[in-house]
Amino acid sequence: MKFGKRLNQQVQETLPGWRDKFLSYKNLKKLVKLISSTPPLLNGSLEYVKAEAEFVYLLNNEIDKFNAFFMEQEEDFVIKHKELQQRIQRVIAIYGANGSQPSVTEYKEEMGKIKKDIVNFHGEMVLLVNYSNINYTGLAKILKKYDKRTGGLLRLPFIQKVLKQPFFTTELVSKLVKECENTIDSVFAVQEIEEEKKERREAITVTSGEGIFRNTVAALLTMQEIRSGSSTYSQFSLPPLNLPDSEVVQSVQLNSPIAIL
Amino acid sequence: MEARPLSIQRSGARQLNNLGVSGAMSSSLPVLPTPLEETYPKLPDSRQISMEREVRARPAAHTTLVPSNSGVVGHIFSSSSGFSSDLQYSSVSPHEKHSGKTPYISQSSTNAALPLPQSSHSNKPQSTTSSHYTKESSSSWCPESLPGIIDFPTNTTLHNSQLESSSCSGVMSSEDFSKRNDWQDWADQLITDDDALATNWNELLSDNNMTDLEPKMAYPVPNTPASILVHQPQVQQQLPASSGEIRNVVTPSSSANSAPAKPRMRWTPELHEAFVEAVNQLGGGERATPKGVLKLMKVEGLTIYHVKSHLQKYRTARYRPDSLEGSEEKRLTPLEEISSLDLKTGIEITEALRLQMEVQKRLHEQLEIQRNLQLRIEEQGRYLQMMFEKQKSGLDKLKSSSSNLENPSTPSSDAIQDSLAKSEREGSQVDQGKKRSDTVSVNSMLEGSSQELGNNNQKAPETEAPEGSEPNVSESSLQPTKRSRTDK
Repeated sequence: MKFGKRLNQQVQETLPGWRDKFLSYKNLKKLVKLISSTPPLLNGSLEYVKAEAEFVYLLNNEIDKFNAFFMEQEEDFVIKHKELQQRIQRVIAIYGANGSQPSVTEYKEEMGKIKKDIVNFHGEMVLLVNYSNINYTGLAKILKKYDKRTGGLLRLPFIQKVLKQPFFTTELVSKLVKECENTIDSVFAVQEIEEEKKERREAITVTSGEGIFRNTVAALLTMQEIRSGSSTYSQFSLPPLNLPDSEVVQSVQLNSPIAIL
Repeated sequence: MEARPLSIQRSGARQLNNLGVSGAMSSSLPVLPTPLEETYPKLPDSRQISMEREVRARPAAHTTLVPSNSGVVGHIFSSSSGFSSDLQYSSVSPHEKHSGKTPYISQSSTNAALPLPQSSHSNKPQSTTSSHYTKESSSSWCPESLPGIIDFPTNTTLHNSQLESSSCSGVMSSEDFSKRNDWQDWADQLITDDDALATNWNELLSDNNMTDLEPKMAYPVPNTPASILVHQPQVQQQLPASSGEIRNVVTPSSSANSAPAKPRMRWTPELHEAFVEAVNQLGGGERATPKGVLKLMKVEGLTIYHVKSHLQKYRTARYRPDSLEGSEEKRLTPLEEISSLDLKTGIEITEALRLQMEVQKRLHEQLEIQRNLQLRIEEQGRYLQMMFEKQKSGLDKLKSSSSNLENPSTPSSDAIQDSLAKSEREGSQVDQGKKRSDTVSVNSMLEGSSQELGNNNQKAPETEAPEGSEPNVSESSLQPTKRSRTDK
């Protein structure tokens, strides 16, 4: 139940509005157990066929759920992305050096706000990609279980279908993520280079309390744990995850000075 | 007999669906008394057949969902409820995407659904369950999709992807499903056609649902697209967006036009640009009306519902940025404010943001890597499966020719089996070689798979180099398994 536990952890830690949008892994597992515990079914028998139908039906429902949620979020992201771009343009146009009301302090203040928004926006998008991935992983696992327990051949064709679903084709969101990173690098590059080390501690304490950041840290750690080596290793298993700077992530994990929730 | 486990599963399913499942899967729901068979006879067979063909054809298509053209991609199965005509629905939904193909689709879609569910066995629990899941009801799909036929130009590329993308696109076949009486055929199809199966199930079940709700057809099922087109204007008020994804949120009501359709549109930046253009032309976010924007955008498949909801989101984002992301944002913002007030210098904020950004970037990177690996794995599995099937068909040919010989048949089949296994191993090794330039992790997986040619049914220990070839041969299909076992 390792994945199940991890998934639950992730669901607990995720943004509240997302909690019920994840895969119902536990229940699907129960269903698989139920199906496999009924007397051995001949392949092609009606019971088997019906059971598989039921299972597939549920999976499809889950997929629908993912798709709906994902696309809604994606739409919001598209809008917000554009908004942020426009805000930047406006601030530059008004408070920038050549603007209508040039003002360094105003410029800095507004840009500061925009920057914070961009970083949070970036985080939220990454969390959505994580959402997509963890649900996919769950589906792959449950299908593997199903085939193993019932001797079915559902996994391969079904997963091919899943691969094409909107919730898994996250290219657009990834693209927006990269664009955010570029925006931050280009627009905000100038402001960041002072006394980093000294302030790092306090920064860590502060940021780990914030919702989105906390979630991304949690997501990263969860991912690491899920990928820490499979007990049923096969050619369909992912290799263990190797994070280059895992200690950074670990250090961020703990403190939660501002209680969220 | 089998009704009971089914009902158990159904209740479990229902709970799953409602997300309120607390694991009470064993409680069985009362079986609703609408047997499948009753609904079946209603649909003409021709529809079902075409549907079936359609569904089969789908797995073959594999265009990407995200279209590269002007953002008007994807297709939406409108899930407006109300139209009882199952056939219509099924035919309609595929239509939208590909206008050129719509005529074909409508017919095929109806047929596709048919073969599946119709079995002689009383699938009562199933039908009742599907009626529970009104959300999936195909009834809601059809009406919306109908008008789509009229308006959409040929959009063939989307067609298949659409069809596939809507995993629950029982839309098409759902109606047809209920009509089918040939349960046995459906069972056969299950075994042979996995791809179609997955979609068919959905259709089947959702179809049952729909037929339960709307036994009568809104209008006779025409065999020609033209007649469908004719009917559509009467039925639909909205066009399902063609560039969206099918989100079949079903409203099971029987009122044809009043149910708010919720087909989901996949908004791309380009589409959004066009939207913003239109809005600006109309005087800005506050003054623009959905209808005006819709007209100005001239995007096929876009419905006024899409525009309306998008406009709402847009307004929220512009004029009330805090509320766009929902309550959690609101909650977070004051906390963030407090923390920033506590910070003495802007440097700390900067540092905090930088750190946050680092972690987020890291996570994203890892997610991308993981996703690529997952895609690779499945690709590999598919390849191996294909290889195996090729070998298998080769073996079949050999066997059939060798069966002409009387005596040496047994030893020759053994020899054939051996050589087959050998060539499969070789094939997989060649496959390995090709991929050896990839990351080490993928490589190790490939080595594992060389022993098993994509066998995903075996346990881990078997993955380790077994000497015999039977695990290799016994891939994902059961018959070869049996054969190879007897062989060794």
